[in-house]
Amino acid sequence: MNERDREHSSPQRRKQVALFVTCLADLFRPSVAFASIKLLERAGCEVSVPLQQTCCGQPAYNSGNYEEAVPLAQQVITMLADADYVVAPSGSCAGMICHHYPRLLEGEWRERALELAAKTFELTVFLNDIAHIKPPGKKPSAAIPSVAYHDGCAGLRELDIREQPRQLLRDLCGIEVSELQQREVCCGFGGTFCAKMPEISGKMVDDKLNDIMATGADVLAGGDLGCLLNIAGRARRQGKKIEVRHIAELLQQDRDTPAIGEGK
Amino acid sequence: MEQRSDTFLDNASEALKNVEQAKRRDIIATFAPLMRSAAIEGFDEFDTLRQHVKRVREHALDHLEYYLGQFEQQAVQNGNHVHFARNSDEFNSVVLDICQQHDARRVAKGKSMVTEETGLNSFLQRAGLEVMETDLGEYIIQRAGETPSHIVAPALHKSAGEIRALFQSTHDLGARDLPETVDLVAEAREVLREHFLKAEVGIIGANALVAENGYSMLVTNEGNGDLCANLPRVLIVCTTIDRVLPLAQDATAMLRLLVRSATGQAQTCYTSFYSGPRRDSDVDGPIETHFVLLDNKRSDILDSDYREMLECIRCGACLNHCPIYSSVGGHAYGWVYPGPMGSILTPLLTSLEQSHALPNACTSCGRCAEVCPADIPLPDLLRDLRHEENSRKLSAGRWRLGIKLHGWLARHPKLYQLSTAIAIHTLHLFGRKRGSYSSLPMASGWTSQRDFPAPQGKTFMQQYKARLKRLAEQRNEH
Amino acid sequence: MSTSARSEIFARLREISRKASAERIHQDRQALGSAPVPTPPAAEMCEAFLANVLKNQGSVDCVANRTEAVAAIGHYIYSHFRSHRLVAGNDPRLAAMPWRDAGVLPRFGRLEVGEPVALSFAQLGVVETGAVLTWTGKSNPAANNLLPEHHMVLVDTADLVPDMEHAWGRIKQELESNGRPRGINFIAGPSSTADIEGQLVYGAHGPRKWHVILMGKIPAEALSRARAIAAP
Repeated sequence: MNERDREHSSPQRRKQVALFVTCLADLFRPSVAFASIKLLERAGCEVSVPLQQTCCGQPAYNSGNYEEAVPLAQQVITMLADADYVVAPSGSCAGMICHHYPRLLEGEWRERALELAAKTFELTVFLNDIAHIKPPGKKPSAAIPSVAYHDGCAGLRELDIREQPRQLLRDLCGIEVSELQQREVCCGFGGTFCAKMPEISGKMVDDKLNDIMATGADVLAGGDLGCLLNIAGRARRQGKKIEVRHIAELLQQDRDTPAIGEGK
Repeated sequence: MEQRSDTFLDNASEALKNVEQAKRRDIIATFAPLMRSAAIEGFDEFDTLRQHVKRVREHALDHLEYYLGQFEQQAVQNGNHVHFARNSDEFNSVVLDICQQHDARRVAKGKSMVTEETGLNSFLQRAGLEVMETDLGEYIIQRAGETPSHIVAPALHKSAGEIRALFQSTHDLGARDLPETVDLVAEAREVLREHFLKAEVGIIGANALVAENGYSMLVTNEGNGDLCANLPRVLIVCTTIDRVLPLAQDATAMLRLLVRSATGQAQTCYTSFYSGPRRDSDVDGPIETHFVLLDNKRSDILDSDYREMLECIRCGACLNHCPIYSSVGGHAYGWVYPGPMGSILTPLLTSLEQSHALPNACTSCGRCAEVCPADIPLPDLLRDLRHEENSRKLSAGRWRLGIKLHGWLARHPKLYQLSTAIAIHTLHLFGRKRGSYSSLPMASGWTSQRDFPAPQGKTFMQQYKARLKRLAEQRNEH
Repeated sequence: MSTSARSEIFARLREISRKASAERIHQDRQALGSAPVPTPPAAEMCEAFLANVLKNQGSVDCVANRTEAVAAIGHYIYSHFRSHRLVAGNDPRLAAMPWRDAGVLPRFGRLEVGEPVALSFAQLGVVETGAVLTWTGKSNPAANNLLPEHHMVLVDTADLVPDMEHAWGRIKQELESNGRPRGINFIAGPSSTADIEGQLVYGAHGPRKWHVILMGKIPAEALSRARAIAAP
């Protein structure tokens, strides 16, 4: 056991977590970040929010503008260098840090990127596998909704997030997820893809929405706001009734905040 | 083959309107992945196999000069003529020369994507040869005057009804109306059997070339390739220089990946190795055999960062698992190779100028790389092509500018947080009642298909900083 | 043209390829070892082979010896074609079969158009894939595999090999002593196509039916177990 592991496993010291808010939560849905903080605190962590954060660089990176993505990656690496753990409520941003920073950067920066990757986690992975969040003492009083879950692609294939969100919904809320037929298929968001190739993206999100509606669930939860904004936006356009929420909100039993795309 | 990848978005739009074809594509996109996963279920070492074959292919490509030389030497020793072609024109001319030397009039052709790439059929036809595709799918689209929509199943975009109508208009059917699929297959079998028996030249592709013994490997279910290879008196094997593997067992190891990934079978019906012309001990087979080995920029790819693309075994799994391919179909890609592999190969084998939309037809969902039996990091290569597109300023100027501005802003946190706070607050104010926007001038791509969810209120950073400030004030008061 | 294309391509590859001696390259390939093989559906070779043949949509017969083999072959032809005739290559092993005992009338040579049944004696049966291996020559002209309506293949249990690696190992001796056959054919099923709407149809170009007769010492329960494995 190296020094860090000992430090982490010491019962006296609470886990120090830096929250990587992600730009979509920052701008569109702060409730996700607040719910994440509460969940991490419930799991016994001490949470800080580095105030210099903006964007992880994904839009530039995925558009092929590596030159713009590099300084943003370096900015994030520098900002988070001293954190014990970094947690992001998004599989795609965590995937960017864990998989793509090391690919994007070279030399010493690559080394630093790998160090950051080793301590960076997506929220549900961290809560379930690392912090081992405990179920609440008493059963939730509110009625248990029927929930479908959308697996974001980066989470699935870059971070192997499959069971963690389902486990958490079961343990913390008593929710058994109603599964989609095509869990592995992309919703058509794809960052700038949805704006560059809107028609194709529209067909893809329709397929996803049909799959979701076929489960008969009241709520669609997911771990990535990009996908959820896409799905909620299409549901609104089609007049389909589905309450779309980030999983952090559900885990924190926050269903009072209007769902994504819903008015007050 | 004529290319129209530059109009990918229009092609895609057209394809999305064809509801019948879209329905068939959806069915394939549902079943093909199930068949593949059923085929590898219980094959615990599938990933080890994938890594083994990858190492062998890397080794073969590292030493391609050696192995290609060894293959040539063995093939010549086996009695073949071996030809090399730098590009499509040279390739087509070599094939035509061989046909003309034998006064051939009829060619029976097995499935070969390489000859689609070089446009061999129309070249031979212009010279007066009758060229008949014999793979059922290829035969159907040749009759229909179309191009393949899938590298393994080229006619899957057509319904049985369309194929029936096609045969009714191009075959002499008399009173027969071919009600079932089996009848359609039987009809094609009859017509093609006749052609096999008459053709003077057979043309086939190769799934691999074996350096140690000069054999080529041919994998089919129909057996049409074997008829092409055994019945006409001249055989021409058409493939590319990068297909060489060191050992026979390497070819069959690759086969384990190929069939499971392509059709979900554990084994295709016919796996054949051909070494050359009729021997003294033979009572049938061609009397003369040729290999025509095409480069067409493979050596450029070998010398580039896209080298791994040469490890592609043409199984089509990335097509079957790509949500964009299944949305728009193969024809939208506008050239020979569609889907993720095609979106990489097309720019590399033609030009990025003509095809830079293709690498953008990707959400980086990663499903293709997950199932790729050659373990090619397809989304990464696609992104690298977008990087090239961006560096060479082929992408739309407003996108490049937008990304630059966003990047600049994101590098200045204070300014970023201030400006986003203002913008988000405005979007919130006008959108909070309805909860979303049905149109937004700056996001017309988004709102053309879906509503734009309005932000909740102030940005998280604004709220969080205010909270920190409140806490600090409370501490000071105490 | 071809010569300059050749020299240019090789010159380019020389620039790109890694420099090493032939000996070194062979050593490097050896060091990579062999590929993993899928687990067979049963531990016993006959059972596993039969199961894979059945999965490949072949029909099967199990016989103990040559007398039983000709009887099974005769029965198969008669039940499908009401005939006693078949075509087989000039394979000494086939010539030596007691055809007259079963009333079968073989013609030895290449199948002619219109003849419905051919029989081949496989060089090997590959358990891994449920394939039979034949090679072209007098003993088995290519047409006999490809042109009949029904292709029957006799496989001796002594010629079963577990996988493709072993198949190549066995063929290597033949290749070195008797020269390389023009065509080496692994056949695993009747000719099939799914090119029309993905619907599987047999008899695309080649045989509509593929019948394998396994001959030799076969465990009593092998076939029934194989059927159970292959059943969907």
